Amino acid sequence: MKVPPGVSPADFSEALKQFEDVVGKEWVFTSDDDVDLYRDSYSPVWSEKEEPIPAAAVAPDGVEQVQAIIRIANKHNIPLWTISTGKNLGYGGSAPLLGGSVVLDLKRMNRVLEVNDKNHYALLEPGVSYFDLYRYIQDHKLKVWIDPPDPGWGSPVGNSLERGGGYTPMHDHFDAVCGMEVVLPNGEVMRTGMGALPGSETWQQYKYGFGPYVNGIFSQSSLGVVTKMGIWLFPEPEAYVSGTVMVWKRDDLIPLVNVFAELVSSGTFRGTVVLASPLWFGPPDAELDPLRISGSVKDLEEYGARKRIPFWSLPLYLYGPTEVVAAQWEHIKEKFSSISGVAFQEGPSYRFPLSGDELAKIRDTVPLGVPSLQIFSLLPPRSQGHIGFSPIIPMSGEALIEALTVFEGVHRELGAGRAVLTILSSFPRAFVIIDLFPVERDVEKNRKMREIYRRLVKEAAAHGWGEYRTHTTFMGDISNTYSFNNHALRRFHETIKDAVDPNGILSPGKCGIWPKRMRKAEA
Amino acid sequence: MSSRREFLQMGVAALALPISAHAALSPTSSILDGEPAGTPLYKVIFDERFSSSRAFAEEAERLGLSIHGIKGDMTDVWYRDLYARWKEGPVAIAGLTAHGPIFCLERLAWDQRMRVVFRADHRYRADGSIEHALSGPSGMLRQAAALGDEINWSSEMASLVTRCPAMRSQTSQSNVIGPTVKHADDPEHLISWVIAPIHRA
Repeated sequence: MKVPPGVSPADFSEALKQFEDVVGKEWVFTSDDDVDLYRDSYSPVWSEKEEPIPAAAVAPDGVEQVQAIIRIANKHNIPLWTISTGKNLGYGGSAPLLGGSVVLDLKRMNRVLEVNDKNHYALLEPGVSYFDLYRYIQDHKLKVWIDPPDPGWGSPVGNSLERGGGYTPMHDHFDAVCGMEVVLPNGEVMRTGMGALPGSETWQQYKYGFGPYVNGIFSQSSLGVVTKMGIWLFPEPEAYVSGTVMVWKRDDLIPLVNVFAELVSSGTFRGTVVLASPLWFGPPDAELDPLRISGSVKDLEEYGARKRIPFWSLPLYLYGPTEVVAAQWEHIKEKFSSISGVAFQEGPSYRFPLSGDELAKIRDTVPLGVPSLQIFSLLPPRSQGHIGFSPIIPMSGEALIEALTVFEGVHRELGAGRAVLTILSSFPRAFVIIDLFPVERDVEKNRKMREIYRRLVKEAAAHGWGEYRTHTTFMGDISNTYSFNNHALRRFHETIKDAVDPNGILSPGKCGIWPKRMRKAEA
Repeated sequence: MSSRREFLQMGVAALALPISAHAALSPTSSILDGEPAGTPLYKVIFDERFSSSRAFAEEAERLGLSIHGIKGDMTDVWYRDLYARWKEGPVAIAGLTAHGPIFCLERLAWDQRMRVVFRADHRYRADGSIEHALSGPSGMLRQAAALGDEINWSSEMASLVTRCPAMRSQTSQSNVIGPTVKHADDPEHLISWVIAPIHRA
């Protein structure tokens, strides 16, 4: 039996027995067959000695059981790694960062506690999936939308806590959080925001409560176990209109982003777009690929003009009253028309609600608030998974061109193959570039990939760009780059960690924050 | 112009660059005398786009099983069928699909305390044969030896998955190379599988 680091087999056996007394024997997993399911399918250290294999898993059914587990873990110094549904593949899945941890699996806490379609919010337990919430809303014929990420099998609580994003106007998921219930590392239950007021009637309607606002310290965090969370939902819109803005020269990106930034900051456009360059980073093309490798920007522009392939393509989605979205689209076209040669293409438009038959005909339902797993059918046949390098980049065309050039250069220099970089507007005032890397069942290929990834992290940091989220394997690397004033932020995080979790039992090492007793060894 | 999905697909595609309900829940009719009780199959999932998968489904249906066709994306069969059925309790399913659907279904099944208990990776070879890499109960693997002579391997696989024992001992592996005729619409790699509740002999 694998044992947590620093814990004797006898102590661990005793802790497991106590876990069984709390949740029942069938919900404590210790056999290799069961524990293997918590390995990360997309691990970039698969089968290497660094791969963090958990020692066991325990699945509580309610907040009291979470409290009891935490108290037992404190008594025996058992590191717990909390997951909601454990399906954030590419960021570690259900595997811990520290090998030998016990996975605290919250999948049984899957109750939709409330959905309000007058004030547009939900109160959820962490094991509720986007599909569960969508099903609840459909079954109860409620006039609200969820905002699923893609794929949508994860948990709204987990995804929001990790600061994930979707595609509708509620795309910034942590921004949509309103009120939490948290089991603290000492086993005490706390409610944040208005939830601290007994009998509060506005827990899911006003975020801040009174005094210091603490929700943020429980995101990407090891400071508590969130057992309930309020999230804001989007009222079912009357209509959806989509269209694409296309420009033809590389430097058209500068005015394109300037206009886009104004539209976003003014609230004219809300949502996530995938800003891409079909010419520069588009799909493999025998005629175009040589130009991408050795041609000049002018060569690419001429090719694009000849073949009518835009240098930049910006698809936009608008949600709201029919007349309003039509006016928004006209306004958007007018704003972008200042760019020479700009072209527009109308996309699908819908009126809601859609019937089941209408929905079944739509290939990509995610921007319509309908969760999907279709993206897995698009993976290449030999895919063993992938992880993403995802730095935050200023919302300016100049910065984007510089970043894309730098990252493409690293790919070339280190023999990583042609980079296919996409730009997402998942957050209100900045872009995130997504650079996907395959993970393999091949140790040498994975080592090479990690080398490239770490080089990208350093290059990005040297330019002032940092990642918003990363796979557990690279959390220490990313944390090291957030080093202003001799790592003042990390030292502050550690001060809080030591104060609220003195035994260091919750998610050790998450986001580079180690408990005091492990800090020297791991930092 | 390209859609949001197409752009995202570019990213993942680039990773390939260099670097019948009447039979449901009842024992299947194909159990031979003397064989251990088979795993009742609630549904057989196949990909309508692939000839071998269609042949698999035709044989499964002939054997009295309920079938469901997909076109790469398993969201609909899961959300509209398995999601609710598995909430009532675990029931076994089988299929012949590409990697994506079984990857998702396996992980969704874990949450219901089910596992992939039989898996066969079918890969077409350059010499015109096909390799079947099998993992599952040893009794099934012994029966799978017939694939070495069977040109209609996908129909044989449909018959084989109906014989997955309900009580399973340790998993074994074997490889069988057999004859085949590659259909133009088949991908290079297909997977036959059974997902079932954990019952260990």
